[in-house]
Amino acid sequence: MANGTGELTVTGVNHSYGTGKIKVPVLFDINLHVDKGEFVALCGSSGSGKSTLLNLLAGLTKPDEGSIFVNGEEISRFSENELCLFRRRCMGFIFQSYNLLPNLTALENVELPLIFAGESRKSRRAKAKEMLERVGLEGRMDHKPNELSGGQQQRVSIARALVNQPSIVLADEPTGNLDSKTEQEILELMRRMNRENGTTFIIVTHEQEVAEQSDRVIYLQDGRVVQKRTKPA
Amino acid sequence: MKLLDSFRIVWRNLWRMKLRTALTSVGVMIGTAAIVAMIALSLGLKENAVKSLENFGNLTELDVQPAFFDYEKDEPIPDDQRKKLNMDAVREIKGISGVAAVMPIKRIQGEAKLKVGRREGFIEVIGVDALESAAYRKNDVEKGSYLSGSPQEIVVAYHVAGNLRDVEKERREARRRSADANRGGGAEMMPPRFGRGEEAPQSFNLVDKTATIVLTREYRIDDEPHFEKKEVRVRVVGQLRQSENRRYGNAVYAPLGLVKEMNDWLNRSRGDEFGDGGGSTRRTRETAQQDSFEFDEMTVKVESREKVESVVKALQERGFEVWSPARELEQINKFFFVIQIVLGGIAAVSLLVATIGIVNTMIMSILERTKEIGIMKVIGATVYNIRWLFLMESGFIGLIGGLAGLGIAWGAVELVNYFGEAGGIMSSLNIGFGGPEGEEKLRLAVIPSWLSLFAIGFSFVIGLLAGIFPAIRASRLSALQAIRSE
Repeated sequence: MANGTGELTVTGVNHSYGTGKIKVPVLFDINLHVDKGEFVALCGSSGSGKSTLLNLLAGLTKPDEGSIFVNGEEISRFSENELCLFRRRCMGFIFQSYNLLPNLTALENVELPLIFAGESRKSRRAKAKEMLERVGLEGRMDHKPNELSGGQQQRVSIARALVNQPSIVLADEPTGNLDSKTEQEILELMRRMNRENGTTFIIVTHEQEVAEQSDRVIYLQDGRVVQKRTKPA
Repeated sequence: MKLLDSFRIVWRNLWRMKLRTALTSVGVMIGTAAIVAMIALSLGLKENAVKSLENFGNLTELDVQPAFFDYEKDEPIPDDQRKKLNMDAVREIKGISGVAAVMPIKRIQGEAKLKVGRREGFIEVIGVDALESAAYRKNDVEKGSYLSGSPQEIVVAYHVAGNLRDVEKERREARRRSADANRGGGAEMMPPRFGRGEEAPQSFNLVDKTATIVLTREYRIDDEPHFEKKEVRVRVVGQLRQSENRRYGNAVYAPLGLVKEMNDWLNRSRGDEFGDGGGSTRRTRETAQQDSFEFDEMTVKVESREKVESVVKALQERGFEVWSPARELEQINKFFFVIQIVLGGIAAVSLLVATIGIVNTMIMSILERTKEIGIMKVIGATVYNIRWLFLMESGFIGLIGGLAGLGIAWGAVELVNYFGEAGGIMSSLNIGFGGPEGEEKLRLAVIPSWLSLFAIGFSFVIGLLAGIFPAIRASRLSALQAIRSE
């Protein structure tokens, strides 16, 4: 069902911020492997480099050194346009601040990735509706983001991330703006999607609950992977 | 991304900032309206000028005469070197590419009247080669047929019938009117007189009637003028349709042979008659001499307006003098081209300003939508998608302005034409050519369909050009930074 296997491998990645003379090193010799269908939390204190790592995985920035393979393809060598097409086909994104387009309804926001993919109006509408029903927003399809609560907005953005049937979903602090009850609901939703679709989830978080409900937690400290803890079965 | 979807997104974005879209479009609108109105005005003026010229003669007909003056050497051409308008010349001109027909003309050298029944009127007898002129005069025949080549036939121009008067009847009526006027009933008698004067020409039919051409020659005996008349019986076989060319409005076209006979009689001294008996032998002799015979004038019909210039050139090279309204047209074209360039240039400046306005608006809206662009990029919009969306957005701003500007220009043109007519500008410009048939609406400005299409297309292209830089800028935005911006 998903596009691609959902496997992810990082080998020998070094990365630093800034251009020219002043460079701030952020990541040192990162080596990672995430299996398909895994639900992985990426934890670490502020400034540990976890968001940078997520951006590298998404192909939004390119590593200074090392390679990143997603679905067996080395995305760190892709051109910008190839990356766009790759993201469109194989990746979904969930942000802390939802990042929905404010002038589009929930349904239209979910439809947007399919519009860029060139799907027909009828089929994308059906897919978006089905997706919104699956995240429990069947009654809110025609509402604009500012008419929805934070939790509902995040559900829309999860629907948007999954509507393309990507093999990997990258989430950046998806529950950071939510209260604990909603946080739990969103987390459960993501886990359900993970199970039902076999989609790989990589979630950047510093919240204990999220880490506890993951298959595996990767700790980052000062730009290095310090611990890979697998949740006891 | 599908084309229709992209237009939907673009339209939504334009609608979202409708005030800004509208204000930016106003710039294009003013520029387009100015350009279209100015070109329309100069086109209208030109059309009027061309129409006025057409009243003088058909634009594809050239009047050819031998050149009398060599402009290069700046001296007159001596008689023996001058071209002769004879059959050789006809053949020579026929050889020029682009010439459709050559019609030599011989006029009679005296006064002629046409008499049909009791009506009569002065006419201009023009001798034509029946077969040669048939090629392009045939289509002008309204009633009857054209000259077939037999000797005693004539074809009359449209106005000939109207100019014939029943002299006896009018004299009688004039007498009665003066008698009525004496009795004080003059006012009542006015309308019927006018009515008859207007209607009679149209209803009176000459075709298939037998007519008489009356020639008068003057001679002197002991310094006393004497007049002698000769009547030539002819048959009217056809009538030409009403033409814009008023030069030959009162013409009667007759075969060359007939005109030659008439000229012979007019030039001969008194007492020499060409009777029917001796006529036939003389006629055969003249046919044999046809090649050395000289015409008064030649009319050259050119295949199309575009070929007029090259034909004129070829004729001049062969030593002919050419008069044609088409040559004046060339001057008019040059003049109005300059006017169009100047007016268009002024209007183009306003379009340039409008273009800068679009660029500004687009850059502003990209700044405003930075985050949105970032989101679109992350969820699968390619560089080309983004570029396309912004290009189309600014193209549509141009298009909206162009459509509105075209509408305004159209309105302005209608107004100008309306007031131009009401104020009599055109009728005063038209003095001299505007006869009763010149009542066709003359417009001061015209917007041909090519101009509308050009205006719409041009404004859209202006918008696109203005959008290139902002669109590239938008597509180069880093998705990561864009998404973080607030």
